[in-house]
Amino acid sequence: MKRTSRYLFSLWATVLLAGTGWSEGTGTRGILERYRSIRPDAKDLAMYRLDWATSLDDALKRAAKESRPVYLIIIHAKYGDITSGHC
Amino acid sequence: MVRKLEPYIIASWHGHRNDTDIPAAVKAVWDEKFKAQRGRTPGRQSNVDIAILDSRGSLVHSFDAANHQQYGRRGRIESYTADELSRAASTLGLAKRPTKTPALKLPDLQGKQGVRVLVSLDDERMHAYRAPVVEVVPVEDGDWDHLAWPEEARRVSSSVLLPYLSQIYPPGVMERTNPTTKEVYRIKAVEGELELSPVAAKKGPRHAILRGEVRIVDEGPDDFGYKGTLEIVLAYRDGESTPHALRGYFDGLYPRSDRMHRDTRWLPLQAAIESIPE
Repeated sequence: MKRTSRYLFSLWATVLLAGTGWSEGTGTRGILERYRSIRPDAKDLAMYRLDWATSLDDALKRAAKESRPVYLIIIHAKYGDITSGHC
Repeated sequence: MVRKLEPYIIASWHGHRNDTDIPAAVKAVWDEKFKAQRGRTPGRQSNVDIAILDSRGSLVHSFDAANHQQYGRRGRIESYTADELSRAASTLGLAKRPTKTPALKLPDLQGKQGVRVLVSLDDERMHAYRAPVVEVVPVEDGDWDHLAWPEEARRVSSSVLLPYLSQIYPPGVMERTNPTTKEVYRIKAVEGELELSPVAAKKGPRHAILRGEVRIVDEGPDDFGYKGTLEIVLAYRDGESTPHALRGYFDGLYPRSDRMHRDTRWLPLQAAIESIPE
């Protein structure tokens, strides 16, 4: 079962990478596997499914045009880039 | 939670109460939040508030983002926020509005070449800080000349990767701020020698590996820094000497100062590094 899973994963990785110009040969495979294991999955990146505006001004213009409400995060600080997460 | 936020356009704003250009909605929230409450002891407040505005920009509802009565209990802020959103939804008439699940759209540079850095801090005590940080950095002509195809292994200073590796620090780093300006100390340097070596391949795209130990140092006065392993695969097109794409990772430990427990915790700090467009 384990061997089958490993084979299917290798097959998937090969197909996925074939179109991107990445080949998993000696030396690169371990790094690319580690890259994939460290990269957050879609569940952890859910905030990027939200419709972010670049600024409050932009949000208000779009809200009027699209007839939609605004969810405004107000940070009482000199810095706070909530979009990137470095806040 | 994401489903409840789908009808909204999301925006953030930051500033101080003595700023001259405070938007009307922010002023309305802060006027209410900070007004003197005669005969009442002020409750604990966070420095983050949520304002719900209608499509004309009028304030419909606001609340303190942290809900201090429940602060620290796992999942409580989420359920509290969901409850507050439900209150606003009925006022805005959102309950009747159908929504479709939007696609995941990571920050990018609208087709321009760049590097995306996805940073994760594994802080078991503060779950909010485990949310990944995603930063994008543009790549200009000549930026990758130092990474030209290596006919044989050679040394490369990690400082050439400063624009990308300087994004690798935890979210919400409150303990690393300038006490005077209140600004977060930026990453000023990356130290360490890397090895750039070609990967032997009989056919297909050419690849090289860039690897080594790096130390990331911020601009604070105490030479604060943290170390980790960096490994990146670089891809080169036939006939081109500079790489056109890269993928790799940083895997290190971040010394988080814990004032409450008066100790330093070494937390796994990792980053996936990838070129864009994909």
